[in-house]
Amino acid sequence: MDVNGPACATCLAVVCPLLRTITPPCSSITTVIVEPPRAGLEAAFLDNRDKLLRFLRARGAGDSAEDLVQEVWLKIAAGPPGPVAAPLSYLFRTADLLMIDRFRSSRQSGVRDRDWGELNAGDPPGVANEPSAERSIAAAQEAASVLAMLERLGPRVAAIFRRHRIEGEAQKVVAEKLGISVSTVEADLRTAYRALAEWKDKSG
Amino acid sequence: MASDEVREQALAWAVRAGDPAFADWNGFMLWLETDPEHARAYDEVAAGVVDATDLIAAAAPANDDVAEAVPGRRRPWFLGGIAALLAVVAATWVLQAERRDLYTIETATGETRVVALDSGTHVTLAGGSALAFDRKDTRFARLDHGQALFTVRHDAAHPFQVAVGDERLVDVGTVFDVRHDGKELIVAVSEGAVQFNPGDADVRISAGEMLRHTQGSANAVLSRVPVEQIGEWREGRLTFETASLDEVAAQLKRATGIDYAAHGSGTVSGSILTAPLRKDPAQLGPLLGVSVRAEGGRWVIGAR
Repeated sequence: MDVNGPACATCLAVVCPLLRTITPPCSSITTVIVEPPRAGLEAAFLDNRDKLLRFLRARGAGDSAEDLVQEVWLKIAAGPPGPVAAPLSYLFRTADLLMIDRFRSSRQSGVRDRDWGELNAGDPPGVANEPSAERSIAAAQEAASVLAMLERLGPRVAAIFRRHRIEGEAQKVVAEKLGISVSTVEADLRTAYRALAEWKDKSG
Repeated sequence: MASDEVREQALAWAVRAGDPAFADWNGFMLWLETDPEHARAYDEVAAGVVDATDLIAAAAPANDDVAEAVPGRRRPWFLGGIAALLAVVAATWVLQAERRDLYTIETATGETRVVALDSGTHVTLAGGSALAFDRKDTRFARLDHGQALFTVRHDAAHPFQVAVGDERLVDVGTVFDVRHDGKELIVAVSEGAVQFNPGDADVRISAGEMLRHTQGSANAVLSRVPVEQIGEWREGRLTFETASLDEVAAQLKRATGIDYAAHGSGTVSGSILTAPLRKDPAQLGPLLGVSVRAEGGRWVIGAR
């Protein structure tokens, strides 16, 4: 019996034909962020351009550091960050995330090139090697195995990782809510991050 | 791959720099500058974490906040996550008919969000607010703290319910605003009517009325409120009517994200646009006839 209904493009959830519903926060929950951009960041950027440049170089940007400072600025100008309590921190964080993204995409393209060579020698370029539904399922299974791996580190480690990384709670808030110290939260996060780095060492 | 020692240092920095409160960017930069390998080791750790986070967030509904579910009925969050994933893989849903399946949506101060629950029902969250919704029941919301404006499609068979602490609000076809600061609950109705604690106090709040209730007290006070003022915070306007300084500071902080605090007693009446305050928080003084001074990163409001 074919029980697959249409899949949602954003969250990969498949509509159940029996219930004819899709689980929020997918189609029935849409969130729209309406907030004006902030001017305070502009001043912080102009005042700290050199410092950002130095940070990007230290982060391994090399000759691209100047371009990347510009990219940081474009990100700030384009995105509506809302009121920012600590503009300087916000700038550094934006730069840091930019560098992490660059690293991820360079690593990703390395993996793709290798897989392509191994699996698809002779295929025309530009053709995806898997249909997207199968890719989604593969991603869901990989996510399940990552969740299981985190859980094996202990329920507290897994809960802290989820609260901090998925729900976006600050470490201090996580510590308060769970009634433990911030240093315990940090130690548990190090445990989780260590396992994730090893997972990437193996898979990527 | 980095050496164990460098990897450990990188882990520590990734944990610290990943926290929204992290401020020691200088220290981080100095560590990075001691050895070019450090940046590489940090990237390996940080990228692994972001990869995993993206993977989990994309595959499982991110707001699967079972930890917030009714105490005593908790299950570990990962069960929810894995259940959701299995549901995706097998295209079947895990049915949990008898209990709420809550997830929380939170706003930062200064931010506004609209959550659409169905075609005729949406909730606008003010800044610094948290609401829990039920995946299985779009006619329920729980205001944990802050303020929200509910625009609700009326359905007599399934009235929309809002829980605030132990109190219950049930719509009778309506647009209404709910604010929950500390122990205060304030409900203002702009269209239709809302029933406050049906089966108990059972107070009807009609359009143009405002109910004020302090947690633990038996009394609820009804007063008139101009309908156009209800939900005006969405357009960046706040109106105060003999409001305490604490209340003024809390509402301004929510609307602007600026750290306002109150000092001393006194009441304030007046109406202001919040946008100009984002540029200059001290402008509040002349606008509302209060004193405003900067003190340790906060803006302290006092009586004039």
